Amino acid sequence: MATLEREIRFESDRDPEFAAQIRRMPGCENLNRCIQCATCSGICPLSTYMDMTPRRVIQLARDGFKADVLNCNTIWLCASCYQCQVECPKEIGITDVMYALKCKAIEAGIKPKQAAPQTLYREFYNLGTKNGRISEGALMVNTVIKTQPARFWSLKMLGLRLLRTGRFGWKIERMPQQSVLKAAIQATPPINGKESS
Amino acid sequence: MVSDNSHNPAEEVRIGFFICHCGVNIASKIDVAEVAKFAETLPGVVVSRDYKYMCSDAGQDLIVEDIKNFRLNRIVVAACSPFLHEKTFRTATQRGGINPFLCHMVNIREHGSWVAEDRVTATEKAKAMAQGGVGRVRRHVALEKRREPVLQSVLVVGGGIAGIQAALTLANAGKHVYLVEREPTIGGHMAQFDKTFPTLDCAACILTPKMSEVGSHPNITLWAYSEVIHSEGYVGNYKVKVRRKARYINEDECTGCMECVEHCSFKTGVVDDEFNVGLVKRKPVYMSFPQAVPKIVVIDPLTCAKLSGGKCEESCIPACDRQALDFTQTERVEEIEVGAIIVATGFKTFDAKRKPYYGYGDFPNVYTSLEIERMVTSSGPTEGEVVCRDGRVPKSVGIVHCVGSRDHQTNRWCSRVCCMASLKLAYLLKEHTGAEIYNFYIDMRTPGKGYEEFYERLLEEGNHFIRGRVAEVTDFAMRPEEENHLIIQVEDTLSGYVRRVPVDMVVLAVGIEPQADASVVRRLFNISCSDEGFFLERHPKLAPVSTATEGVYLAGCCQGPRDIPDTVAQAGAAAAEALALLDPGFVEMEPMTAYVENELCSGCKTCQTMCPYGAISNDAERKIAVINPMLCKGCGTCVASCPSGAIHQNLFDDQELFDEIQEVLAHA
Repeated sequence: MATLEREIRFESDRDPEFAAQIRRMPGCENLNRCIQCATCSGICPLSTYMDMTPRRVIQLARDGFKADVLNCNTIWLCASCYQCQVECPKEIGITDVMYALKCKAIEAGIKPKQAAPQTLYREFYNLGTKNGRISEGALMVNTVIKTQPARFWSLKMLGLRLLRTGRFGWKIERMPQQSVLKAAIQATPPINGKESS
Repeated sequence: MVSDNSHNPAEEVRIGFFICHCGVNIASKIDVAEVAKFAETLPGVVVSRDYKYMCSDAGQDLIVEDIKNFRLNRIVVAACSPFLHEKTFRTATQRGGINPFLCHMVNIREHGSWVAEDRVTATEKAKAMAQGGVGRVRRHVALEKRREPVLQSVLVVGGGIAGIQAALTLANAGKHVYLVEREPTIGGHMAQFDKTFPTLDCAACILTPKMSEVGSHPNITLWAYSEVIHSEGYVGNYKVKVRRKARYINEDECTGCMECVEHCSFKTGVVDDEFNVGLVKRKPVYMSFPQAVPKIVVIDPLTCAKLSGGKCEESCIPACDRQALDFTQTERVEEIEVGAIIVATGFKTFDAKRKPYYGYGDFPNVYTSLEIERMVTSSGPTEGEVVCRDGRVPKSVGIVHCVGSRDHQTNRWCSRVCCMASLKLAYLLKEHTGAEIYNFYIDMRTPGKGYEEFYERLLEEGNHFIRGRVAEVTDFAMRPEEENHLIIQVEDTLSGYVRRVPVDMVVLAVGIEPQADASVVRRLFNISCSDEGFFLERHPKLAPVSTATEGVYLAGCCQGPRDIPDTVAQAGAAAAEALALLDPGFVEMEPMTAYVENELCSGCKTCQTMCPYGAISNDAERKIAVINPMLCKGCGTCVASCPSGAIHQNLFDDQELFDEIQEVLAHA
């Protein structure tokens, strides 16, 4: 039997500093401008799969309901297509807000219900910082092995098709001047006082 | 039909019939060519035409030319409602060289094509109506418009920003203005405000120069603390009685030095200060605020110890070195004559006690927006310091929008200004206290220049906006953080949660409603109210400052909720309408008035009681009814009510109507 869940929110459920923290992250400066027009939710190709629409995530983030936004699957399902950000009438960096919230979730040790996205982001980051280029083949193989090793063989046909159509490559791409990459990464200031990964 | 043209039997009736297609508005349902052909067969019709747009210049020229070419002396135009184009076709008739009232309009659009379903029957109906029109027009006689002089002065009722603006505009145009204000000072609600949205101009800084201009303008007679008690007359010639209440102060002597207030036997205030909406007490002798115009104190006889018959030291009398106090003063009635009247009586705010679940009156820290308005003003009772009633500076404030508005239980309308006023107060409260501000709104309505930008600014400054109508304000704490707070319970429809928000102070954005005595004022000036009680304009789009009574205009919130920019614009429009009436020096009156056939009148006075415009009086000597054509609107009520058939009406004479009916029936 389903349990009845309390839906009321008290003031103690809010983190009054949360919105200000998010607004300090790159691309999130305009968070408070939101007029809740829901263009983002309407245009998002994945919003129908999300437990909270992007509009609601923005509202809750702005109001400081930290626990609610960091535990929703919306931030992990966001495919970074940037359609919401392009269409937003108030020029809010919605995709950037999603990234900021992902950072906050990782920081808080919150694991998404589906493990894949977080691992994918970590592998993406590792490849990027290591080689300066992303190699799709390596990225997907690493992610699948780390999240769903049992399905590795069942996914091989998909992998082969992607290889044949040129979506994947065997080659590990690398930036020619690795020293420049290292220097660039070292010179990048950490976001929000911490490394995001 | 046998013609018996009574007005000039010698003249042969030569009728021109013109039918309009109105694009497809008429032509799609009525076979206009067939009607035109039919009309040609009617007796007296010399020429009959159809045309795509009769009201166009070419259409009008058709009438003008035909009058000349065919020596027409009657015109029938079958087209739209006379309300729209009667004037157009009468003018064209006049241009053709004959009296404009020899033209008659048949409405085959509103009464025909627009309501018909079947083309054949619609065409038949149009034929019948055309025959009726042709039948009655032969009885039309030449009529002349009457000219009456217009008095070159204007009465402005109400000295808020609307009245001030209208009065100054007229006075600057050289007209004499009587500005009558009920309160001891002009300025109205705007004088109570601290800042004005969205620019945050100081309300006093932009209002008080206008107030003093009114006070010193040579063309303005300012009567504050006065009320209009009677009005009669007609456009251009109104007689008005104004009651000037006793201030118990010699107005010519008082300089507004306030010494008498200082020396009043009451050392502190004894009665709620109306100007500060009861936040503080005032003495019986007082001035509403330092920049009051006229800068004269007033004594409230109900609380003054001397005037209410109590024991008093009378220390105020020697305090005044100009001997301006005059306890023997009585009210007096002034009689004035004006050409036009501008009603700018303003509004009152919704009484928040009518919404008991918001706790106004029960919880001391629940305020109305007007109270906060006074509190944030540096010249207000707290000198701009925002404090709760217990002296604490609020750390959190909840602003509840739409209190009393958009509510079938109270006022159905949107009060239009509260969203912006609430945003302004949110800004000011944050500025004064640094408190967290929560706005609870149903819809955010910010239509105006710079308004949406102001809302965005408030959003960016981190004010909270919770979309949902507040269910209740309570002091019942469910959580430790709610102790000693007022808790606002609401569903935030955007986050999807019911929320309880604890705050130190609650501000109720009360709506705008008609003045309590709007119905009295309405009768005074013979104007109408719409359902909600605001004065009714003649046309919501095309005559928004005029009323059904000629020469009476509206400005400001007495006509409906509006903000200051709109009020000032409307006041200017009302002044312009009054100027347009005054400037030619005369008014032309439509001749379709009723007149009494003296020989038939029995003096029964039936008509007198029926006339809605008070246009009929009784000539006691001759024992007959007399109709003032200046007041008569041609409604026909008296004509129908006269048991002797002694009253006739131009253009609606019995014989004209009977002929029209007869001809319509003849076709049927």
